[in-house]
Amino acid sequence: MGRSYIVEEDVEGYLSKLCSQLTGPVTGLLIGQSLVKRDFIVMATRTPQNESADAGKSVDKEWVSEHARQVSRMLPGGLSVLGVFMVSESDAKDTLTTLRQLLFSVENLISSEQLWMPAGDDVTDCVTLHINPKTRKTVCRTFDVKDPKSVAKPADWKYQSGVCSSWATVSCWLNIDLLVPLPGSITCTKPVDDCLKEELKVWAQQIERGVCLIEGKKLPEDSEIKTGQKKNVRQTYTAQLLITPDGQMVPDVVQQCGGSLSVRGAIHSRAFLHSNKPKAKLAEKLLKRDIISTVATRVQMLLEEPQTQTEENKERKQTEQFCLPRRVFCPVKATSPLCVCDYQFSDEGLSEMTDRFKEMLDIEATEADLDITQELITEVIESNAKEESLMEEAEPPHPWRNNYIGVAMATAVALLASAASMLYLSDA
Amino acid sequence: MERCVQRHVELQTCQLPLDEYNELSHNLSYLNMVIIGSESAVILRLRGPLELKCQLDSTDVVFMQKAISRAFEALRLQVKSKSCVLAICDSPLLIWPNKCVYEEISPDTPCEDIFQWIQTNDQESGGKRTTKKKNRKCFSASVLNFSLMTEVTKPGPLSAPILTKTVQRSHFLCATLQVDCAVCSSCSDPIKDGCGRLLEALTRQLFEMEKVFLQHMRGTMVLVPEPLHFLLPEPNGLVTVVFPRDLPDKELEAQRRELHKQFELPDDKPYFRRANTFHFPNEPYKDGYLRNPHAVLTHPALDNGKVYLVQGIYSYHHYMQDRMDDNGWGCAYRSLQTICSWFKQQGYVERCVPTHKEIQQALVDVGDKQASFVGSRQWIGSIEVQAVLDQLLGVTSKIMFVSQGSELASKGRELANHFLSEGTPVMIGGGVLAHTILGVAWSETTGEIRYLILDPHYTGAEDLQVITDKGWCGWKGPDFWDQTAYYNLCLPQRPRVI
Repeated sequence: MGRSYIVEEDVEGYLSKLCSQLTGPVTGLLIGQSLVKRDFIVMATRTPQNESADAGKSVDKEWVSEHARQVSRMLPGGLSVLGVFMVSESDAKDTLTTLRQLLFSVENLISSEQLWMPAGDDVTDCVTLHINPKTRKTVCRTFDVKDPKSVAKPADWKYQSGVCSSWATVSCWLNIDLLVPLPGSITCTKPVDDCLKEELKVWAQQIERGVCLIEGKKLPEDSEIKTGQKKNVRQTYTAQLLITPDGQMVPDVVQQCGGSLSVRGAIHSRAFLHSNKPKAKLAEKLLKRDIISTVATRVQMLLEEPQTQTEENKERKQTEQFCLPRRVFCPVKATSPLCVCDYQFSDEGLSEMTDRFKEMLDIEATEADLDITQELITEVIESNAKEESLMEEAEPPHPWRNNYIGVAMATAVALLASAASMLYLSDA
Repeated sequence: MERCVQRHVELQTCQLPLDEYNELSHNLSYLNMVIIGSESAVILRLRGPLELKCQLDSTDVVFMQKAISRAFEALRLQVKSKSCVLAICDSPLLIWPNKCVYEEISPDTPCEDIFQWIQTNDQESGGKRTTKKKNRKCFSASVLNFSLMTEVTKPGPLSAPILTKTVQRSHFLCATLQVDCAVCSSCSDPIKDGCGRLLEALTRQLFEMEKVFLQHMRGTMVLVPEPLHFLLPEPNGLVTVVFPRDLPDKELEAQRRELHKQFELPDDKPYFRRANTFHFPNEPYKDGYLRNPHAVLTHPALDNGKVYLVQGIYSYHHYMQDRMDDNGWGCAYRSLQTICSWFKQQGYVERCVPTHKEIQQALVDVGDKQASFVGSRQWIGSIEVQAVLDQLLGVTSKIMFVSQGSELASKGRELANHFLSEGTPVMIGGGVLAHTILGVAWSETTGEIRYLILDPHYTGAEDLQVITDKGWCGWKGPDFWDQTAYYNLCLPQRPRVI
């Protein structure tokens, strides 16, 4: 039995429009939610023009995949890139091979960025759609992207109205407080990236292990979040997350370092569930994944910015602060609770956001449509002054009274011999 | 009426910058006096990992100490904050103690009612559980386990995160503190009081840990503090002490002396050695041996009689254990193993309970037996037991000789005195059998006597019910002994150490 895709009506119109703009093959992404029994497609977006490439000749796999990677960052929990489509006049067989290649490339790139663990009940089938613009014939196939040898399976593709309307939203604001040492010798930012990524992995595991409450209650796994009967009543639920550090993971140690990195503040996380009996377990999984993704994405974006790469100055202590971009939401459709999102750096304006929504997701939005209220822009505090003033306080050492004769520490926590290598250079 | 008092322990009297702590230290208000009848006490225990992370931005000791103190202060603030959550283990209950939010229950729910929410797993790895716990009533020394969690979600909207990069050659400390607090409460106390006391205990423990941490810091070498619980004799009760985790007992002698002084304890019992940490009820033992099976027995009530028992914890060793078929010849060896287990578990020795071969080898080593003895199935007696205890554990023993079994009935006073002053299990051998005497019930006026016997001849599984029902551990009368045979008793002497 093949998979069954229920597709928002508007997508039909969108694909139709693409068919009538005949400028060579058009590729794009299909976005929605895959459940065990059914799949929902809520929107489609064409691959943006690659100005540096030949116009409309062959399909550029890397370009399509890069587009998918960026789009994937713009999708809140519950929504993901479910597949690729192609509008072209070529033969169905050829296109299937191309589509298959595209699909695997896209899905592999997207999953390489994920910090969360795949779950046993994840759906690994993704869809390819081919439309011949002349005949309007639609061919829909699925592949198991976790199986490199998988073959095409037929799937149903049905258009329906209101697919974007009946969704439940689970959301929360979450505090994040990470502190990680920088390696002893800094020559470039690459090690910094790795340190932070390692810490994010540990943090992601904490989040995944956390206890999730929905509307204040820990629901049994198979139970449903209470859903309203009417389809047009907005079902929004607030979640809470309780965590504990993993006692076993980190060895207790004092190590040499070249400094430290901290990430502190809060994020807004959101996940959507198709409200045909959404299960608590699914809500928890999707929300946790969104929490992890939104933090990882922003950190990644910040590290990609040129300004975070500072030159090393061994002499003095340097402190710099960078704001992570804040999350801004944009509705998919006026009548739908579904949103896509993007991240706004402090030096960007809202017009840049609307441009990106247009370029990446082919959404026409005005600045008024954007929801910028979920996260506040932080003021970067000048903390350098504060740190240094502490250093200058000259206080007499505390008279610690030892009650016992100092004994050699026979067993001590492992660490590096530091005496020889520690040179404390004074500020002057 | 027995009293259980929980007191705060001060390891040293150095100044800490925060007034609050000094106030706590000298204020008697936190002396928790809880009256325990035999059935109405409950122990609330809170455990959880807390991460201690900070950048130590200089080699100057003062500044390092300040950075660490700041990190500890941050942990203490976290404990007092609205995001601190206590989860009751094995139940769906969650408590936000600083926000007065109680999931599923109300703040005034008495502690004993909480037990109804707990889903227990009735198998414990130390022997089959047979005592009826189905009615979930709060009975003597029940434990309510809590685990410490942090809520990371908050109502928004909130500010987006900032990444701060500090570049400086320095050191970074990363440690996990395993906090473990225990407070005594009465069954009818409302849960909110219990939680309040747990959090106070946690704050005090974090202060203690800070002290121990700073005290043992040498340059960049640190020792992570670890909380341990000890059950001290009345009126002290359950007490929590923080020791550096990786220091062995012998390097903590000075601290122990200080504690003995503080609690006015005699210097000849190792109350604060690690082996003597309090074992919480229902916590299984990993090695599978039963502990103190005699504890579930009803002791005989003789006219004007008193019961004198072994003091402390021993494991029950008997035939066929450890895949060693010693049926018919190993009884004295097993009794000796029981005695060795006592010395280990009270912290007098670190050596594990010896095997039959090790016992035999010890006798060869002292010249008592030929080399061919090792691997044989030869019996041993009290004299050999005394020799092995001396050779392997450094423990001396007294030998008591009775020329006929009937004379044992008159040894009440001597045995009573032994259990009072030494408290060690006694090995008795005679005729063709060896047994362990764990206690004696004796009346000075009538001379009536009963013996608490642990029988090493048992060949079955570690089933507490069977062992007690069938008398493998039980009270026997004077007719238990062969009235005409002679007996030797080995009475191990407890070392007088701290």
